[in-house]
Amino acid sequence: MNYKKLSVAAFMLTCLAQLYVPGKMILDREDVLKTGIEYKFRTEPVDPNDPFRGKYIVLGFQDNTFEVPANSEIDDRSTVYLQFENDAEGFAQIKDVMLSAPPHDDFLMTTVLYSTTTMKTGKKKLNIYYPFDRYYMEEYKAPQAEETYREANRDTSSVTYALVNIKNGEAVLKDVVINEESIKDIVEGRMKNEK
Amino acid sequence: MKNKITIRLSELIDAGILSSDKAQEIQLFYTKGQDQSQNRLFVIFGVLGAILVGLGIILILAHNWDELSRITKTIIAFIPLLLGQGFCAFSLSKKADSQAWKEASAAFLFFAVGACISLISQIYNIPGNLSSFVLTWMLLCLPLVYIMRSSIVSLMYLIGITYYTCETGYWNVVDPLEPYLFWALLIIVLPHYHYLYKNRPNSNFMVFHNWLIPLSVTIVLGTIADRSDEIMFVAYLSLLGLFYLIGYLPFFKNKRRISNGYPIIGSLGTVGILLFLSFEWFWDELETKDISFASPEFFVSVIISIAASALLFWKIKNIRENKVMPMEVMFILFIPIFFIGLGAPVLATILINLLVFTLGVLTVWQGAKENHLGILNYGLLIITALVICRFFDTNISFVLRGILFLIIGFGFFFTNYWMLQKRKGLVVNGER
Repeated sequence: MNYKKLSVAAFMLTCLAQLYVPGKMILDREDVLKTGIEYKFRTEPVDPNDPFRGKYIVLGFQDNTFEVPANSEIDDRSTVYLQFENDAEGFAQIKDVMLSAPPHDDFLMTTVLYSTTTMKTGKKKLNIYYPFDRYYMEEYKAPQAEETYREANRDTSSVTYALVNIKNGEAVLKDVVINEESIKDIVEGRMKNEK
Repeated sequence: MKNKITIRLSELIDAGILSSDKAQEIQLFYTKGQDQSQNRLFVIFGVLGAILVGLGIILILAHNWDELSRITKTIIAFIPLLLGQGFCAFSLSKKADSQAWKEASAAFLFFAVGACISLISQIYNIPGNLSSFVLTWMLLCLPLVYIMRSSIVSLMYLIGITYYTCETGYWNVVDPLEPYLFWALLIIVLPHYHYLYKNRPNSNFMVFHNWLIPLSVTIVLGTIADRSDEIMFVAYLSLLGLFYLIGYLPFFKNKRRISNGYPIIGSLGTVGILLFLSFEWFWDELETKDISFASPEFFVSVIISIAASALLFWKIKNIRENKVMPMEVMFILFIPIFFIGLGAPVLATILINLLVFTLGVLTVWQGAKENHLGILNYGLLIITALVICRFFDTNISFVLRGILFLIIGFGFFFTNYWMLQKRKGLVVNGER
C-alpha cells in the first residue's frame, strides 16, 4: 500500500472515530431517555457564591447522602453504584450504595465526593455526586432561570425537583420542575410578561 | 509592472557588469523567495480565517436555541464536523500540495470536533468531566497531525495535552498516576516535530514548536511531585539545564534568538529558581522534611540529570569551538549543594548565593568578551536581582543597602559605557 492510499484509509478511520464518539454519546442518552426509569430528585438551593456560570443552571440535591458502616471499603472518590427507591411523596432516595454493578440495569454509576463520620451513630456518611447537576438553557433565558430556581428553593412552600431518567449506570436530566411546571415554561412566561 | 530587481538587473546587463544568464539566475532566486513568503502569508491567514469561522459557528450554536427540537439541535451540532471533514478530504485529494489549504481545513476540523462533543453534552445536559473531554478531543484530532501534516493541529494538541495534564495533575487530582499519560501523549506527536526539523527547519511552525514543547514540559514536570516535592528542584534545574544545552546545539546556530525558546526558557528558569532558593527559609524547611529517595521525584531527577550531563559531555567532546558557558553547568553544581542543604542549611544558602553571584559575574564577563551588550546587561541584572532578594531577608542597614545600589548602578553605567567605547574604537580601527 502506498503512502497516499494509507493516508486516505487513515483519514477515513479518523473521520469515523470523530463521528462515532458524539454518535455513541447520543445513542446512549437516547436509550436512557426511552427505556430508563424515571426518578424525581428533590433539589436544594445552590451556594449563592457559585452563581450562573454561562448557559446553564447549577442544581443542588437534598438526598445525596447515605450512611454505611464505619469499616466500609467505600471511601472518598470511590466509584460507586447507586440504587434508588421512591419515598412516600414520590421523590427518589438512595436505597443502596455498592462497589460493583447490580445484576439489573436500574442503577447509577458515580463517585463519592467525600465522607464524614456521624457522631451519634459512629457510621460513615457518604456525600455522593449526582452527575446531572447542570441544566442547559438558551443563552438569554439561563440567568432568569437561575433566579427562578433560587427563589423557588428558598420558598419552603414550593416543590422543586429534577426529572431524571436512569439506566445501566447512566443518567439523563430531562427537566427541572417547579410546582409541577417546567422551568423553561416559567421563564418564558416571565419574559413575556416583562415585555 | 516590472519590479525593482528586474530594473536593476537590466541596468547591470546594459552596463556589461552582469551576463544575462547570471541575471536570470538571480531573478529566479528572488522570485522563489517571494513565492515562499506569499505562501507563508496564505498559511497564516488561512489558519486564522479557519479558526475564526470555526469559533464563530460554535458560538452561534452555543446559544442553544430553545425553539429547535432536540433532534434538530443534534443534527446541527454535526454540521461543522461534517463540513470540516469535507474540507479536509478536499484538501487531501485536490489541494495536496497546498500547505495553506491543509492547515486551514485541519484547524477548522479541530474546532469542529471539540464543538460537536460539547454541543452534544449541552443538548443532553451532561456535566461531563473536563479532563476526559479534552483528552477525547485531542486523541480524535491527533491523526490529523500526520494525515494532513498539520502543524497548527500539532500546536493545539500540545496546548490541549498540557491543559489536560494540569487539570489531572494540579487542579483536580483523582488518580495520581493519570498525569503520567502526558509523556506518552507527547511522544506520539514528536515525530511531527522531527518532520519539521528535517523538512521545514526555518518555518514559523518550527519556531512555535521550539517554544511550546519546552514550555509544556516545564509546566507539566511538576505534576510528578508527590511527598518529596523538594527534590523536584533538582529535576527542574536539570531540565532547564538540558533545555539550555539543546538551545546551543548546531541546529540552532545562525538562527534568530527569538526563534529558539530552549535557551531563553532554560536560562530564565535557572536564574529564577536559583534566586528563589537563595532565601534561607527554604533550606531551613528542607532540613525538617523527611525526604524519600525511593520516590518518583528522585527517579525523575536522576533520569533528567543523567540526560543533561550526557548532553553536556557530548557537547564538550564534539563541539570544540563552543566553550562551556556558566549557565550550562549550574544544574551539576546544584546537585551537591542540594544534598549539603539536607544537613547544613546555612552552608547551602551561602553556596547558592555564591553560585548566583558567580553566574552573574561570569555572564558579564562573557558579554564583555563577546562584545554583546544584551548578555552583559543580563549578567548585571542577575546580580541586581540577587542583591534585591538579599534585602528581604537580611538586616543590612539602609546606608549599606544604598551604597550597594550605588555600586551596581554605577556598574551598569560603567560597563555599558566601556562596551560602547570599545565598539567605537573597533569601528575607528576598522576604518583605518
